[in-house]
Amino acid sequence: MDPTIRIDQIVDVVPIFRGHATEVNVCVPWKMRYGIHEIVFTTFGMRHPTVKGKRMVHVFDMSDGVNDYRLEFDAERLIWRLISMVEGAS
Amino acid sequence: MIDINKERALVMHIDLNSAFATAEQQAHPSLRGKPMGVTNRLSKECCVIAASYEAKRLGIKVGMRRSEALAICPGFVLLETDPPKYNAVYQKLIVIMRSYSPKIKMKSIDEGIIDFHGLGPVLAGRTLQDIGYEIKQRVKDEIGDWMTINIGIGTNRFLAKQAAGWHKPDGLDTIDHTNLLAYYKQMKLTDLNGIAERNEARLNALGIMTPLDFINAGEMILKKQVFRSITGTYWYQRLRGYEIDDNDTHLGMVGRQWVVKDPSHKDSYLLPCLSFLCETTGMKLRYREVEARGVCVWASYQNGEFWQSKRMHKSTFYTNQEIYRRALELFNQRPAGTVRTMGIYCYMLTPSQRSQLSMFDDIAKKDWLTKAVDEINDFYGTFTVYAGTSLEGKKIIKQKIPFGGTEYFELLLKTG
Repeated sequence: MDPTIRIDQIVDVVPIFRGHATEVNVCVPWKMRYGIHEIVFTTFGMRHPTVKGKRMVHVFDMSDGVNDYRLEFDAERLIWRLISMVEGAS
Repeated sequence: MIDINKERALVMHIDLNSAFATAEQQAHPSLRGKPMGVTNRLSKECCVIAASYEAKRLGIKVGMRRSEALAICPGFVLLETDPPKYNAVYQKLIVIMRSYSPKIKMKSIDEGIIDFHGLGPVLAGRTLQDIGYEIKQRVKDEIGDWMTINIGIGTNRFLAKQAAGWHKPDGLDTIDHTNLLAYYKQMKLTDLNGIAERNEARLNALGIMTPLDFINAGEMILKKQVFRSITGTYWYQRLRGYEIDDNDTHLGMVGRQWVVKDPSHKDSYLLPCLSFLCETTGMKLRYREVEARGVCVWASYQNGEFWQSKRMHKSTFYTNQEIYRRALELFNQRPAGTVRTMGIYCYMLTPSQRSQLSMFDDIAKKDWLTKAVDEINDFYGTFTVYAGTSLEGKKIIKQKIPFGGTEYFELLLKTG
């Protein structure tokens, strides 16, 4: 079964931009406000760019140690969107 | 005494372990270490197209139905494919491989070859095994710490691939003249890439039961009696470590097939799908900068019957509309029945002549229209503008991950 929960909402994110990091770690979301919850990311899964026409969207797969979150950063409109989450209870 | 290639092993085969499943586990830390898999489209009876090593250990195999996998492991997690994610992994793997040699060749999304011939000075005394371990570490650092690869080193592409599959996952092995016979001794015929049941039966018929028998067989026996073609000579050389697979494949046809989602006999359901298949075939033709003269349409039926019809045309074609018109003429002649799988391909391909101005106004107009639509789709994403006849088909047919070549991967990603 697919444990993915679709959300697709604009969220507030505090990212870290590192000036002298490797390409993998140059930008990582640190915290996110989703509803009344403040989620602090502890594990970086993967970042991959996705083109939507000529628009570039960076997809970040992050984890807070319990659940996984898929965030999209629209590099043109400067918007962070929480696309989905995977509950990782067990 | 068997003639074995004694040169230094300089071909490296790199294979991402359970690529799609491992990429998903990399992206989803909560799924790491758990039995999970990937499918093209989640449905009740969908197929597992990639399974994690944890799932494989439980007996869940690629191609298994979801219900079968869940019967083995009720906690089995299945995710839908995410092409941009796999492309990111693929592109990073290419960057790593290219930093060692300009002679790289990707065999598919998850495997490729680095040829180190002529790069002695670049190696600077380092062995390929050292470089192999370095690549493994770079994959973890630059792609993700959950990613593992198998590396095989050999004197030709065949032996390098065999070596890559020797100790999975996360292995690194070399096969050369020092251990070739010992390696073959451990293997079965079907462990050799390219030898499946039918070839095994051919070999068995001549008393060749093991890879050791195979390498001991004479060239003429393989050529004249087993394979009855030049393939026998190729196998004779391949098994001994001589390179015969370093050649580019010729583009012979371009097409698309589809397993009908809800098998049907109705034109109202099948024709929009055929139109959509023609659209994607047209896109592929123009992407490869070729034009076609022949078109073939085929269908397999619920009752097991197969039908196909093909036709050659005097002039070449490449627009979606022309392909659909030609395909529709053929498809309308199909026998009645419930269609289970259908497909179309264009053949007799020639390099595109589109840069030449046409003397005829109607041909030029078609070309301008196709160019304009392609430009819009290139800018805003594929299928922003498409034929009205494909409207319903686009809703039904989902783009799939290409398993074989990577020629159309860039094209697939534009669909996003």
